Amino acid sequence: MAHRCYITFPTTFYAIRVESLLKDKTFNYKMVPVPRSISSSCGTALSCSCEIINEIKIYLENFNIEFEGFFRLEEIGLKTPSVEELYLDE
Amino acid sequence: MNNYYFDNAATSWPKPESVYKSAENQMRNMFGNPGRSGHTRTLDADRLLYKTREALAKLFNVKDPARIVFTLNATDSLNIALKGFLTKGSHVINTAMDHNSVLRPLGRLIKDGIITTSTIPCSKTGVPDLGVLESSYIPETKLLIINHASNVTGTIAPLEDMISSAHRHNVKVLVDAAQTAGTRNINVEETGIDMLAFTGHKGLLGPTGTGGLYVKPGIDLKPLREGGTGSQSELDIHPESMPERLEAGTMNSSGLAGLSEGVNYILETGIDNIINHEHQLREYLLKKIIDLPGVNIFGPSAEDESSCIISITIDNADCGEIGYILESNYKILCRTGLHCAPLAHKAIGTFPEGTIRFSPGVFTQKENIDYLVDALKEILNMINN
Repeated sequence: MAHRCYITFPTTFYAIRVESLLKDKTFNYKMVPVPRSISSSCGTALSCSCEIINEIKIYLENFNIEFEGFFRLEEIGLKTPSVEELYLDE
Repeated sequence: MNNYYFDNAATSWPKPESVYKSAENQMRNMFGNPGRSGHTRTLDADRLLYKTREALAKLFNVKDPARIVFTLNATDSLNIALKGFLTKGSHVINTAMDHNSVLRPLGRLIKDGIITTSTIPCSKTGVPDLGVLESSYIPETKLLIINHASNVTGTIAPLEDMISSAHRHNVKVLVDAAQTAGTRNINVEETGIDMLAFTGHKGLLGPTGTGGLYVKPGIDLKPLREGGTGSQSELDIHPESMPERLEAGTMNSSGLAGLSEGVNYILETGIDNIINHEHQLREYLLKKIIDLPGVNIFGPSAEDESSCIISITIDNADCGEIGYILESNYKILCRTGLHCAPLAHKAIGTFPEGTIRFSPGVFTQKENIDYLVDALKEILNMINN
């Protein structure tokens, strides 16, 4: 089963700041609406391959970014995927 | 040549062309509700707000743009700061040059039995008495409010000395930069300002209905407004993260789009060039009217550092009547009266009649000043004959 990883933020400000900070970097990522299965929030999340999520987090920590959470979702099209919260510090 | 607008201290006009275009472009093309949906028009609006915050952070040398929140205007910012910071039993120090945007929220807090205040007297030219300031601190003092520049006289407060004084007494500082944001150098990180309240539609050259408040890390203001933010919707209390902690409801995106371009114009022009231009205009006007019989000038002298404001009275003439003649006979727009700052007029000796205030701006030219001076000379002749 393929997976996709997501980073969510407490405010839209941080999502857009992240987009701005990563603009000139080579990370392969997209800014997307937060999947409903993660949160009832209606903000924007960063979506990337699960191989690089930790690398992105480490880079962003240099800029006082506030994170809400890190998640791994099954890629199963339009159906509701199972969600695993990631604890990257552990 | 037909710029007869001398009321930039009330609101700046004209705006840079890019301000008008950007506000319109937001409404036509970047119209999503920031922070709400996840579609591209919303992301465009989110990026626009982010860009505006970043431009302001650059202008004021604020390290973290998240500490700048958008407000309606300086009055709104001051209300958010005062009512979010002060708690029961707090003592506040302010100055006689304060605008009603400070005096009235303080008045409400006093009336409700929440705070007490000490008001520092000011000289005839509007300079706060630093000796009195030093003796005004009590153990309950929590906040010093500094009027960076008077909207009546243009007098610039000794900002750094006053901040040092407050910090020596472990007191936070709120700077009212309504008259100085965009027209004076304001360096938040270097000066250690704790809170900076500013409006978008004066020196920053943006549309009305825009403004902002900087809040230093470590100061957690109680929000004045709570509600929708588009984030953390599952919570039944307002999010605590800045900037949304102090921003509830849909933002004024078109206004902020304009403000972004106003700030960019200032950054591109260079604030020192704006200061020099306005200093020259003020000096030019003052030197032309200083010897006119019957004209009384208030505030700093022509050579002194000042915001670009000239306040005068004319012997044996009502200020309001002069303002009316200036517009009806010469199409000159200025402001007369008390300018929402009654204590300042008491300090300079013009209460309750007030003054006639001329405030040239970044787009005013010396020819415009010549036209104003000629009009004043004609009016003086009318009074004296």
